[in-house]
Amino acid sequence: MKKWHLRLRNLMVDYLSLPSDVLLELPRLTMIGNFHLYIENHKGLETYSETELKVKTTNGYVQILGSSFVLKQMLPEEILLEGEIEEVKYLPS
Amino acid sequence: MKTVKGSYISGYLQIQVNGEYPERFLQTCAANGIMLWEIQKQSTNQCTAMVQLKDVQKIKKLRHGSNYKIYFKKKYGIPFLNKKAKRKKPLLFGLLLSVLLFFMLSNMIWQVTVTGVPEELENKIYERLSSYGVHPGAFTFTVDSPNQIQQLLLEDVPELLWVGIEKRGTSFYLEGVEKLIVKDEEKKSPRHLVANKSGVIKSMYVKKGLPQVRVNDFVEKGKILVSGAIEKLNMEKTKEEENEEVYYEYLASEGEVIATTWYRAEVLIPLQSEHIELTGNIDENYRFGIGSYTFPIWPWNKKEFDDEIKEIDEKKLEIFGWEFPLYIVKEKRMESTSKITERTREQAIEAGIQQAKEDLYRKLGNDARIISEKVLHETNRHGKVKLSLYITVEENIAIEQPINQGD
Repeated sequence: MKKWHLRLRNLMVDYLSLPSDVLLELPRLTMIGNFHLYIENHKGLETYSETELKVKTTNGYVQILGSSFVLKQMLPEEILLEGEIEEVKYLPS
Repeated sequence: MKTVKGSYISGYLQIQVNGEYPERFLQTCAANGIMLWEIQKQSTNQCTAMVQLKDVQKIKKLRHGSNYKIYFKKKYGIPFLNKKAKRKKPLLFGLLLSVLLFFMLSNMIWQVTVTGVPEELENKIYERLSSYGVHPGAFTFTVDSPNQIQQLLLEDVPELLWVGIEKRGTSFYLEGVEKLIVKDEEKKSPRHLVANKSGVIKSMYVKKGLPQVRVNDFVEKGKILVSGAIEKLNMEKTKEEENEEVYYEYLASEGEVIATTWYRAEVLIPLQSEHIELTGNIDENYRFGIGSYTFPIWPWNKKEFDDEIKEIDEKKLEIFGWEFPLYIVKEKRMESTSKITERTREQAIEAGIQQAKEDLYRKLGNDARIISEKVLHETNRHGKVKLSLYITVEENIAIEQPINQGD
C-alpha cells in the first residue's frame, strides 16, 4: 500500500511539478554557507548538543555535526541552526 | 523564514531545563506550539532557551508529570518591570513622600529677617508679621503678596517710615526705616562745676556759669570751679531794702576745666618675661556629641602636642526651633610653646613706664593726656625691677554738682 502511494506521489512530482518536500513529506534543508541551516518539515528533534543535531524524518534521521551549535529558532516543524557546520548525514532508521 | 524575537511589551524570559535529554522537553514544547529561540546546551543535562511570557503556563503544564526541572533565569519586558516595582513598594512610597516633602518644604517660609530698625521695633514687626501669617514654618501660598504685607505693616506700625519687603526663595527680607521722633532736650537742673581732683588749671572753657578760678590757680579737690549761682539784679528790691540778702539766679553751668594733675605709680617688672607663641601646627578634628558624651568622627588619629590652645565650636541640629540633643563639635587645637625672653634693666624700665601709662589711660579715659613721667625710685631685686613713677597728666577735672536750693 505504502509503496503504491509513494509511486503515485513520485509521479505527481515528476509530471505536475509539485514541490517534492510537501508531497513526499521529506525534510527541506536550506544551508547558508556553513553557519546557518534551516530545517523544515522534520518529525521531531532527537538529540541536540553543542556539536550534534539529530532530527527525525519520515524515512530515517538527519544528523548534523559541527561545533558551537545554537538553535536560533524552534517551531513545531522548523529549526534554524546556527554554528559551524561540518557534516550533514542521512541515516536510515 | 520569519525570525522570532521576544517582544519587550508582552515580555519574554529565559528558561533553564535540567534533566536527562533536555532537548526532548524542548521538542515537546515546540510540538505543542510554543515558540522557542536561542536554544543553547550548557551541558548534557542542562539547556537554556528563550520563551514568550504567554507560553509560561503551557510550559508549566507540560513539565507536570515529567522529570524535568525548569528554572526561570532572566526576565525581560514591561510586565516584569511592573512586578519588580510592586516588590519595591516601600521605595516607591519613599520616592513619593520625598517629592511631596520637597514640594512642601520648598513652599514654606524658612526665614524672616528684619534689618535697619532697632530691636524693639524689630520685635514689634515680627509680632505683626506673625499675625499676618508670615513666620518661619508657614506656607507661602497662604501668605499675601509682599506689596499687601508692606501696606498692612505701614498701617499697623506707626513708627515705620518705610518698609521694603523682598521674598527670595523661602525667606523674607524686610528692611525698615524708623520714623525719628525728635524729643525736646530735658531741662537741666541747676548745678555747679567742681574739681574732682587737685591740680593746677591749665585752660578753661566755660559755656555757662560764672568762673570762680583762673588759669594757673591751684585748686583742691571739691572746690567750685564754675558757679551756677548768679546774683540777680533786681533794681526795685535793692532800692527798698538795701540790707536784704542777695538773690540768686540758678542755672546749669557747663564747661571744661583742663588742669595738670599728678599721679604716683609703682610698677614691678620681671627681667625675664614669658610669653606663649603658636608654632603653626594645627590639628582639627570633628566630634559627634550626644548629651555630655562625644565621639570622634574624623580624623581618628590625634596629633599629640605638648602645649596646646583649644578652640571649640559646637553646632547643634535644629528642626522647627526644636533642638536635637545631638551636636557636632569642631575642635581646633593649636600647638603652642612658651618662650622666655631676657630683658636688660633699661628695657625693663621702659616696659614699666609703658605699663604704668597704659594703666593710667585705662583709669582716666581717652580725654587725659600724659605730659611727662619721671622715675623717682628704682630698685633691682630678685630678678625684678621695682619702679616708683611720677606722672604728670592734663585732664578735665570739672564734674557737675547739683545746687541744693533748699526749698
